[in-house]
Amino acid sequence: MDPPPEPVSYICGDCGMENTLKPGDVIQCRECGYRILYKKRTRRIIQYEAR
Amino acid sequence: MSAGKEGRALSILRDVFLANVRVIKNNFRPKCIYVAVMLRRMMEAILNKDAMDDKDYVGNKRLELSGQLISLLFEDLFKTMISEVQKQADNVLSKRSRSSQLDLSMLLVKDSITLGLERALSTGNWDVKRFRMHRKGMTQVLQRLSFIATLGHVTRILPQFEKSRKVSGPRALQPSQWGMLCPCDTPEGEACGLVKNLALMTHVTTDQEEGPLISLCYCLGVEDLELLSGEELHTPNSFLIIFNGLILGKHRRPQRFASTMRKLRRIGRIGEFVSVFVNEKQRCVYIASDGGRVCRPLVIADKGISRIKEHHMKGLLDGARTFDDFLREGLVEYLDVNEENNALIALYEQDATPETTHIEIEPFTILGVCAGLIPFPHHNQSPRNTYQCAMGKQAMGNIAYNQLLRMDTLLYLLVYPQRPLLTTRTIELVGYDKLGAGQNATVAVMSYSGYDIEDAIVMNKSSLDRGFGRCIVMKKHSAVNQKYENGTSDRILRPPRKDDRNKKGENPDWERMQILDNDGIAAPGEIIRPNDVYINKESPIMTKGSLKMVALKDSDYKPSRQTYKGAEGESCVVDRVTLCSDKNNNLSIKFMIRHTRRPEVGDKFSSRHGQKGVCGTIVQQEDFPFSERGICPDLIMNPHGFPSRMTVGKMIELLGGKAGVSCGRFHYGSAFGEPSGHADRVEAISETLVKHGFSYNGKDFLYSGITGCPLQAYIFMGPIYYQKLKHMVLDKMHARGSGPRVMLTRQPTEGRARNGGLRVGEMERDCLIAYGASMLIYERLMLSSDPFEVQVCRACGLLGYYNYKLKTGICSSCKNGDNISTMKLPYACKLLIQELQSMNIVPRLRLADS
Repeated sequence: MDPPPEPVSYICGDCGMENTLKPGDVIQCRECGYRILYKKRTRRIIQYEAR
Repeated sequence: MSAGKEGRALSILRDVFLANVRVIKNNFRPKCIYVAVMLRRMMEAILNKDAMDDKDYVGNKRLELSGQLISLLFEDLFKTMISEVQKQADNVLSKRSRSSQLDLSMLLVKDSITLGLERALSTGNWDVKRFRMHRKGMTQVLQRLSFIATLGHVTRILPQFEKSRKVSGPRALQPSQWGMLCPCDTPEGEACGLVKNLALMTHVTTDQEEGPLISLCYCLGVEDLELLSGEELHTPNSFLIIFNGLILGKHRRPQRFASTMRKLRRIGRIGEFVSVFVNEKQRCVYIASDGGRVCRPLVIADKGISRIKEHHMKGLLDGARTFDDFLREGLVEYLDVNEENNALIALYEQDATPETTHIEIEPFTILGVCAGLIPFPHHNQSPRNTYQCAMGKQAMGNIAYNQLLRMDTLLYLLVYPQRPLLTTRTIELVGYDKLGAGQNATVAVMSYSGYDIEDAIVMNKSSLDRGFGRCIVMKKHSAVNQKYENGTSDRILRPPRKDDRNKKGENPDWERMQILDNDGIAAPGEIIRPNDVYINKESPIMTKGSLKMVALKDSDYKPSRQTYKGAEGESCVVDRVTLCSDKNNNLSIKFMIRHTRRPEVGDKFSSRHGQKGVCGTIVQQEDFPFSERGICPDLIMNPHGFPSRMTVGKMIELLGGKAGVSCGRFHYGSAFGEPSGHADRVEAISETLVKHGFSYNGKDFLYSGITGCPLQAYIFMGPIYYQKLKHMVLDKMHARGSGPRVMLTRQPTEGRARNGGLRVGEMERDCLIAYGASMLIYERLMLSSDPFEVQVCRACGLLGYYNYKLKTGICSSCKNGDNISTMKLPYACKLLIQELQSMNIVPRLRLADS
């Protein structure tokens, strides 16, 4: 019924490539093999409070 | 028998006694001479107390560096490994029938050295049995609280012996530590004076090759002891040459020898850290090339005239020369503490006399990194500088240029760090002006509102709105996707959304998981509140047992979500999320969670003069005093902070800062810098102030913000660099009505982390007893703590129990309920009675009517 949730992509810490991961995958960039990935910033609209 | 004993004594004399003097071809003469020299020194010390060595003298000390420690550890591990292999090989070879060839490489335990090094480094315990070394805390995690904390930590020197000794000698300031160790930077309390810090220009030597130096000494006319008879040994004016504690020989013209050695060092033929020290009293020349000596650079002077000329300094300014060039060209040399005794060092070039051999580079370098941040420290009372050295390390500011890319467990940052208006040369040298930890606040020294007693400060609300003292606290939270022994592993799930329903048609958790992405991990940029889930993780219920290959159903998992536990009512932001594998190849997810805080009542601030204080109250700018120019202070400090602290430096900082903002030039306040122009004089500062329309004494005419009337007195007002310290009320405030209790004693738990109670301790109890507030004691110690109802037998005095069927108390030793009384007791008391009973001690209660 529901459209399958779109996969979340991660940014490589070295080359900046976007990677998608499935459960059980090795944490590694497909492009350069760097082993640290960063999560992308939320796409929701966030209202911060400045005080 | 006797031959064997003789042999043993000989071997002890040869190998153990004075092991540093080698015995070659059974020639004991060097050893004998060494003993004779030792005896002579002892007799001299007995006859003449002045000849006694001072064990606190810095020249007699050596710093142990990491390389030496690691090499010791490696030697031990390597030898252990070899002996292990030898043992195994002997084992194999002793067997009669061997099927395969002996392969030594197979006997090697693969990573025994690696593991040994890793263990020592991670625990910090140096247990080297071979060298009888058992030391703890040899490794420390580098402090990354602030830039200065890091620098201060790497220059720290820890003592070897235990701290509990109550002798003042090693703690006292040693005159010989001038220029080598900072006189200000030492902790307060038990390690006071024992833990030291390096001064700004100190260099710690490393080992240098001895062979070439020894042969050089012989070439320069040192006569080997072997070739000398007793008469020659005692010729007047001939000195012993001692090289790294080893007697090389004698020299007939020691001064000439020493100056040749020094000349060779200055032209770079021997290492620049080799020290040559002529001791006239002991008639010795000491040459040292060993590691761990502290030394410092000095400008060489010929007959009192500095070798550094105008054009050298111009080259340095233009960047054509570096410090190393000065060293290479023999303009500057390193002297260690011993060799300083052969030098006549002038503080400034103009003070030099024809006898002067060296000139100090700059007097402010006798201070270390932390003390170097203090402006005008030479105008402060000495302990204030010591306090500031400890406090500067707690100031929030910048850590490093990559601070936002690092994943520190705890990171304190200032939102708008500034560079101090009143700088010192040290600040520029260490780069504190680029990675500052504080802000220039306009301070009015006056009394205001009564919320400023005991060093509290009154803060301007509008300044806080503008960003004064605002800080960022970043905390790292990590989550590991664990794999278990039966092949199962945790899983991270897509969180339930608002419209999702489970089988029962309910969905209670979606609100706490709004910040999660579809991958079940919180996304950066999201606002996170206490009790929000930041990772929707589930763990299998069965994690032990045999390997399961069957896919697990949803019902085989239990939720193990991680929720954010922060201060209630505060909202934080997920700053960064990283995914990586840890060393067990598990997926590890790290969250940096950012919290921006503005100062609140109770936050701790400090100037650079050991004057800390908490924020006492925050007042609207409308109520703040203001000057005719419209200048309104950022904070108000109570004048009572000055008389007893005697921090004149802070007053001069205020003056200099005020002159600095009005003329647009950074003023300097380096230690002892007035003669050399590295610190501005108060006279000059006052002149600038007058030129810009201020009073020479830094006092301003202020109006009261409340009444609008002029204040009765002129107010000392101007900018002072203020640091926000890492101690904030938000992390510390704690109160509790009722809450968790400890299972065993049923008393309230201890500590803020466990939401613990506030203890009425022994001394508080004493006060209440002395006052006679018995009901208050009863209420605090029993009713609000651990009340418990017990059945006491009046006959035997033991505790009974309550029989719910018969609805009476029964004594279990009398086997009846005739003499039972019901009374209240702290549960801890009942526990004590029972514990004593279990140890065959019978406490009996004797009841009386109340």
